[in-house]
Amino acid sequence: MRQYVLRRGLFVIPTLVMVTIVVFLMLRFLPGDVVHQMLEGYAYAPTVEALRRELGLDKPLLVQYATWIRDIFRGDLGHSLWTKQPIVQEFARRFPVTLELAILTILVSVVVGVGIGVLSAIRQDSWADYGGRVFAIAMLAIPYFWLAVLVVVLPSIYLRWTPVWTYVPFTENPVENLKIMSIPALVFGLTRAGPVMRLMRSSMLEVMRQDYIRTAWAKGLSEQVVITRHALKNALIPVVSIIGIQTPFLIGGSVIMESIFRLPGVGQFFFEALIRRDYPVVQGINLILATFVILLNLVVDLSYAYLDPRIRYR
Amino acid sequence: MREAGETVGIQGVWKRRLPWWVEVLVRLVRTKPLGLAGAVILLLMVMAAIFADLIAPYGYAQIIPADRFAGYSKAHWLGADQLGRDLFTRIVYGARISLSIGFAAVLIASVVSLLIGVPSAYFGGRTDIFLQRLVDAWMAFPGLLILLTVLSLTGPGLVQITIVLGVSSGIANSRVVRGVALSIKENQYIEAARALGASPLRIMLAHMVPNTMATVIVLATIGLGTVILTEASLSFLGYGVPPPTPTWGGMLSLEGLRYMYDAPWMAIWPGVALSLAVFAFNMFGDALRDLLDPRLRGAG
Repeated sequence: MRQYVLRRGLFVIPTLVMVTIVVFLMLRFLPGDVVHQMLEGYAYAPTVEALRRELGLDKPLLVQYATWIRDIFRGDLGHSLWTKQPIVQEFARRFPVTLELAILTILVSVVVGVGIGVLSAIRQDSWADYGGRVFAIAMLAIPYFWLAVLVVVLPSIYLRWTPVWTYVPFTENPVENLKIMSIPALVFGLTRAGPVMRLMRSSMLEVMRQDYIRTAWAKGLSEQVVITRHALKNALIPVVSIIGIQTPFLIGGSVIMESIFRLPGVGQFFFEALIRRDYPVVQGINLILATFVILLNLVVDLSYAYLDPRIRYR
Repeated sequence: MREAGETVGIQGVWKRRLPWWVEVLVRLVRTKPLGLAGAVILLLMVMAAIFADLIAPYGYAQIIPADRFAGYSKAHWLGADQLGRDLFTRIVYGARISLSIGFAAVLIASVVSLLIGVPSAYFGGRTDIFLQRLVDAWMAFPGLLILLTVLSLTGPGLVQITIVLGVSSGIANSRVVRGVALSIKENQYIEAARALGASPLRIMLAHMVPNTMATVIVLATIGLGTVILTEASLSFLGYGVPPPTPTWGGMLSLEGLRYMYDAPWMAIWPGVALSLAVFAFNMFGDALRDLLDPRLRGAG
């Protein structure tokens, strides 16, 4: 196990370096001059040259990169051109909102997806199987932002009732907070249950064909015991990997969900910066989130190897 | 039941083996009802896209001021929008644009995934480590965020969106292609080709790429749905294909949701078309995966 942790951990370093290079080069090499665009809409500086100097874009590329990396190690990701606030501070204030939404969403998608997946697998090729799969894939096919807007708008059209979406931090009032967060999480989670369901179904089907399941049946155990105690436990292992796969998608989707439900999270922070062409913020958020996802994937992989010993001895 | 590859003939007159795609089609019809339903829906949509000029009763940008927000009628089957443009017409033309973006992006994605996946598997070692860390890095970026960043720099437009969506899903798919290519590499015919002095380029192009095709086709079919949905999400945030070009995502997000109170049909029908297409791609893709490439079951 130790060797596996070491090897897997070492892979993180080159990936992180690549992430910094991608983020760094993006603003410099994509067509369209960033500085011109920023000055056109938003007068961040009196002249092109002045803004270029402020952003440090007038220096040689390698020097720019080295300076940027040095600042990152000092915990300085730059500041917003618009509000002049340090990016790290604002990010830290907003991240809990986005993280909470992501966790609740994963929870919903796992509960629904595992439920349908197991049912689908133990009643393979029955109507329950077809029905469950059609439901999960139909949810996947519905644009989540569309569903979200319907949830917000329909009550006010048909019930003449407009719920007030004012975000309350969890630490202030957990009940009120969960009331507000549960609706976006439910909408988002249902539309993400499809991949979980598919994974669960195929994993369950595979486990049900194993010898030890046949032994369990042969011992005369009831269906409930065979499925929950013997099959489900092992079939659930691959579902752990879903957390790593879904997270980038969920964080990306937070841009939309947070704007519909007016949640003051990272998604909104990002989008406001994007609209104001506040590129230092855009760059900073991309970097932090990518790093977060890489580290999360590391944790997921390690726990996966812990749960399934076959992985670490491969 | 007849096995795949067995000769099928009309009273033994025809003894020729059928092309592989006919076999797949036969098995699709026989064993995959959901996949078949998906295929039929897709076929209808592709026909609508091709013959949009003949099917649509109006022009897609044709404005009839008197018919603003007109409800369902004989003149406008699905109603009209805020400018008095026929909604049915725009949905039919929308099929053309949305499906074109989808097909073009998926084509780009397939090429990109092969360009990364096959060399990564064939050369292995440092090349593999380098390319895979690059893929890791790209995949770590939250999808929508990185797409928005790139599009805000390049400016939104049909071509930009297609390229950006194609390249980014190609990078993600390359992981699966690499996995398949790794197992192909172990085959003896690759060793034989190498022994005969074939160059790496020839081995990859002539021997490895054709054998990854089943996987690439399956990934492309499933990817189509994702691409169309992503375009819709980008439209929702104002970074989609600019108006007046009708895309389902744009109609739904830009106009549909804005005028929901006055004309709910403007948000409903493009949404239905979009969901139906994505649903059909997924169903068809799932069936194809089972038929062409059972190894991929459970992926995605």
